[in-house]
Amino acid sequence: MQTFTEKYDLLGCIQCGRCTGGCPVTVRADLNVRQFVNDAYDEDKLEELAKLAEIWDCTACHTCAVRCPKGLKPLEVLIGLRTMIVESGKVEPTVRDALQSVLLEGNPWEKSRATRSDWMEGLDVRIADPDEPVENLFFVCCTIAYDPRVRAVAQNMVKLLNKAGVDYAFLPEDESCCGSEVLTLGEEGLFEMQVEDNTEYLNEFKAERIVTLSPHCFTTYKTHYPDLKTPVVHYTQLLVDLLNDGKLSWKGELPKKIVYHDPCYLGKQGGIYDEPRELLKSIPGAELVEFERRRERSLCCEGGGGKMWVESESKKERLSDTRIKDAKELGAEIVAVACPFCVLTLEDSMKGLGYEEEMRVAEIMELLGELMET
Amino acid sequence: MGNVLVLAEHRQGALRDVSFEMLAVAPKIAEELGGEAVVLLMGSGMDDMAKKMTGYGLKVMVVDDPAFENFNAEKYQMALSALLDDLKPSVLMVGHTAQGVDFMPALAVEKKLPLVADVVELAFEDGTLKATRQLYSGKVNAVVAFKPADTFLVTFREGAVEAPEASAAGDVEKLDSPLKEEVPYRKFVEYVEAEVGDVDITQSDILVAIGRGLKEDKNLPMVEELATAIKADIAGSRAATDAGWIPHDRQVGTSGKAVKPKLYIAMGISGAFQHLAGMKGAKTIVAINKDPEAPIFTVADYAIVDDMFKVLPKLTEKLKELK
Repeated sequence: MQTFTEKYDLLGCIQCGRCTGGCPVTVRADLNVRQFVNDAYDEDKLEELAKLAEIWDCTACHTCAVRCPKGLKPLEVLIGLRTMIVESGKVEPTVRDALQSVLLEGNPWEKSRATRSDWMEGLDVRIADPDEPVENLFFVCCTIAYDPRVRAVAQNMVKLLNKAGVDYAFLPEDESCCGSEVLTLGEEGLFEMQVEDNTEYLNEFKAERIVTLSPHCFTTYKTHYPDLKTPVVHYTQLLVDLLNDGKLSWKGELPKKIVYHDPCYLGKQGGIYDEPRELLKSIPGAELVEFERRRERSLCCEGGGGKMWVESESKKERLSDTRIKDAKELGAEIVAVACPFCVLTLEDSMKGLGYEEEMRVAEIMELLGELMET
Repeated sequence: MGNVLVLAEHRQGALRDVSFEMLAVAPKIAEELGGEAVVLLMGSGMDDMAKKMTGYGLKVMVVDDPAFENFNAEKYQMALSALLDDLKPSVLMVGHTAQGVDFMPALAVEKKLPLVADVVELAFEDGTLKATRQLYSGKVNAVVAFKPADTFLVTFREGAVEAPEASAAGDVEKLDSPLKEEVPYRKFVEYVEAEVGDVDITQSDILVAIGRGLKEDKNLPMVEELATAIKADIAGSRAATDAGWIPHDRQVGTSGKAVKPKLYIAMGISGAFQHLAGMKGAKTIVAINKDPEAPIFTVADYAIVDDMFKVLPKLTEKLKELK
């Protein structure tokens, strides 16, 4: 069996500290990922390290991995320590319930699988059938399917696809969680099972590409599903193609100052920075402005890495608060994102800071949906 | 023969509620069986507890042995195995608690006796004992019969029935300890008190939960007044903990705690999906919010669409009157 040091290539680390230097969480909590990589060489210390609360502060944003000159992924050391805790069964009840829900119902939100497609109600949605080849096979994501706040992402997509005459189909309610949060919460065994089951399920369909609505599913499928036959894209990539082919057009205007927040899973992990911006630029009347911390240096919103189920012990300012304050300073009226988790965290901060009257947090699909209707 | 033996449970010198609750059920079953309900107490230095248990007009059998000072599932199994041979009760009732579930399955296997676990109701029907258990988080009741046997084993759910009123005093009978030898595998090490904050909101019967609508902490006393009037604990949304109005261990939601009170009063909480997931176990939900579109109303049993600061004083006043 591989040792911890071998598994995470700890000896490849030169302790340069670029990981911690760039880690957005260091200003929010007492997390020093370089120190963890250093201390984890000592196998006798692992159990003690796994008990430290800060291993749960990591948001899996991958800034450390992007910056590491040796090509390592320091965050995975923290996930490895989480795995030890999960295996010992000593996780928070909220984490336990989320993991159990993934196992039983195929989503981490403790919602029934039977209601996964409820968001489709009243819409003319084409449902995928393994016997019918399709160009674009859509994977919705648990959060978009169940959380009423972000359901419009999927609903507007259906309207847009119908209008643009795109060959598409959405997966029926047997669609199951991609495992992104399971992986980062450290439930390695469950994640392996998901990879196996989802690969088998998705490989049954004859599609040219799988289109994900969430960047979390996008990155997870691209990075952790080696046997998936169909290429995976994020919806912003597909829409830019449609835009360039002249298949998308907007009615009305949105004369607002919009700032785009790069989701970590789409940018730093998926390498997609330009497509969302191109879509926003196509909006008539909109003025696109930029954060100082953008693209590879984008500030994490703290929504990933299982953080929807684990609260930091630190009382320091949430990164999403910092982000909204930055947007306010830029005079942005809309903070646009391309990720359901970013919507939830940033909107919460926007409300908490009392900017509801003058600012709005929106998923790009929400904005585009409104421009189809007006 | 025909007797129902009820094992009284205690921890840290105090009897557990379920010990009394089972006495609301056991005598009726014993009557149908033509026997009587008998209480069994096992422990060390049991005089006070025995006295408490005799207040229900039932015979209390006491095993007073230092070996039972601390709970040990293996000792309980060994002792009950011997007592079942001796006393031959028709039913053995034990609480469906961390202790009960620790030894009853092993006892059932050892004695080859039928066990029905987590029972909420016991009744005599068609000449046989039938037990009701709940499936799908209480959405479905299943009535199950026992396989024919000399003794039926039951673990009974805590809080399923109300404890009876105390009545006449019953007799106490001291039994010799049935524990004749050391148990081979398990050893008591230490009692570890669960770490809790000042209040464990997962155990609260009534919660008054506040959200961003509270606006500032100077409004907190109004909420506290309501909570005191109805003996509720205060909880809140992530916004309320972020603002520092309540401590972190009182946060309800996917990144806080999942609660299941009998009554949940949500004030100034819009009801983000992640908050709703943490309180969906509440039996009755009352929501006060000025936004009629707030998602909290999709799960509320009672909805008040108005400013919480207008509703709160009136609600507190009315509830105080009712007391």
